Amino acid sequence: MAFSSPVSRRRLGIRPIRPLYVVAEIAVPSGLVALWWVLSKSSTSLYFPPLSQILSSFHKVWLFHDFKADAVPSLENLALGYLAAAIIGIAVGVALGLVPLLSDAVAPALEFLRAIPGVALVPAALLLFGIGPEMKIALIAYGTIWPILLNTVDGIRGLDRVAGDVAASYRIRQRDRLFRIVLPAASPQIVAGMRTALSIGITIIIFSEMVGSTNGIGFQILSAQRNFAVPDMWAGIVLLGILGYLLNLAFRGFEYYLLRWHRGMRQIAGN
Amino acid sequence: MGINAVLTERQDATLTPPRRRRRRAPRSRGAHIGYRIIATAIALLLWQLAVVSGIASASAVASPTSIVRVAGPLLSSAQFGTALTDTIMSWAEGLFVSLLIAIPAGILLGTSDLAYRMSRFTIDFLRTIPPVALIPLALLLYGATPKMAFALIVFGSVWPLLLQSMYGVHQVDPAARDVARSYRLSRMDRARFIVLPSAAPFVATGIRLAATISLLLAVGSEIIGGAPGIGNAITLQNQAGNVPAMWVYIVVSAVLGVVANLALIGLERRVLKWHSAHRSADVA
Repeated sequence: MAFSSPVSRRRLGIRPIRPLYVVAEIAVPSGLVALWWVLSKSSTSLYFPPLSQILSSFHKVWLFHDFKADAVPSLENLALGYLAAAIIGIAVGVALGLVPLLSDAVAPALEFLRAIPGVALVPAALLLFGIGPEMKIALIAYGTIWPILLNTVDGIRGLDRVAGDVAASYRIRQRDRLFRIVLPAASPQIVAGMRTALSIGITIIIFSEMVGSTNGIGFQILSAQRNFAVPDMWAGIVLLGILGYLLNLAFRGFEYYLLRWHRGMRQIAGN
Repeated sequence: MGINAVLTERQDATLTPPRRRRRRAPRSRGAHIGYRIIATAIALLLWQLAVVSGIASASAVASPTSIVRVAGPLLSSAQFGTALTDTIMSWAEGLFVSLLIAIPAGILLGTSDLAYRMSRFTIDFLRTIPPVALIPLALLLYGATPKMAFALIVFGSVWPLLLQSMYGVHQVDPAARDVARSYRLSRMDRARFIVLPSAAPFVATGIRLAATISLLLAVGSEIIGGAPGIGNAITLQNQAGNVPAMWVYIVVSAVLGVVANLALIGLERRVLKWHSAHRSADVA
């Protein structure tokens, strides 16, 4: 992340990338897949079917037969719940962060709410909302809001006092203070909270689909398992691995773009 | 990120005056706790009102008073004791085994530049597979047993731990490493005085992450898979239509999370007292 410029590379004592490393980084995962292929080739085990079979059922189920019916709703619900959590979490977090007295007072209540494992609420959410998308969106929003909110509060409360004093003595308008000083200064920590929230959100969406749903990737995997369609189950797991990785990659891109100024600042401070 | 953050932190400290206490007027500790009690009471009151007024349907959400009413006899029942022990046992076992696997492996992989780069992508990929996706597989292999929960917990908590320890070892301050080399410290001494202290905070963070994930997985696998424990108790009470009792178990799962988190933070503070992050936290 912070190693983008040659200067910081040298400062950190990291040698420039050698071709060997690049080869190694690609070779290991491809070697593992090849190993999986070879070892499972003549597998007769019910639970570990040959990789070729998994891939053909991946092709059959997800490209693109059920993708629209199952993967798209999962991703939609995830996006809606996550967005709601981000908007509410940041807004409430800013409000609390700017009033230390208040954020101090509600800290125990918030810590407790955050500690409820999202999955434990699935049965209650089923009673409350039924098995529709509302249930999943609400659960995702609930599960993902805490890391975002609490990190926003922390980020804002950790704001450099000098910056605040400078803003006050220059009589910078409240709105400018919020959007040009407070939020940017807190953004690295807010983004860190959003990253944690993303993996929680992925977990909750899959889980809620397994417990109460009639569609979705989680539903597909569990019903494949219940029908002993083991290659289909594996195909679903492979899809989740790929989707999980891509979502993380997309988030890293977003973070890289949003916090580019921060990286630069750190390098300057380091030199 | 880590070493950079530490470096800039130190440099910032020399550039700017030490950060003063965030609150302007010092208040007494009593008032501080008083506010917290008042806020918590208001939150409970709002919850109660939401249920009583029907905003939150009473057939899904139990009010705090009804939870407390049911909690007394339930918490002293043998059934509750078994559920709690089952969850804590599979949680602790899974976490412990992950520690045993991931920390030594992470240290080994982090020490060698080549190994670090070779394994980074693979581990990063495996880490992003949501562990709940493997619940069906674990169910096929082990059925609704504590073993199933255990396998899932290990799979879920091994990756963050492994990644954190690899990262911690790999990010040793190059200046410190050079000094160690020029003083010709022995391998053991380098590990003892340079590598371990630098990796410890990363490992500590990894342990906290893993503890949260494994509690989630323990409860989750009990809900879906029906392994015995608190999650299973939540499902059973739900199916029996016993909403307040279900909420007792939900609250207990949260209390477990809070206790584990506080315990680990306390431990971290004690063990890593010397580390700058904790030193500055004490000053601020």
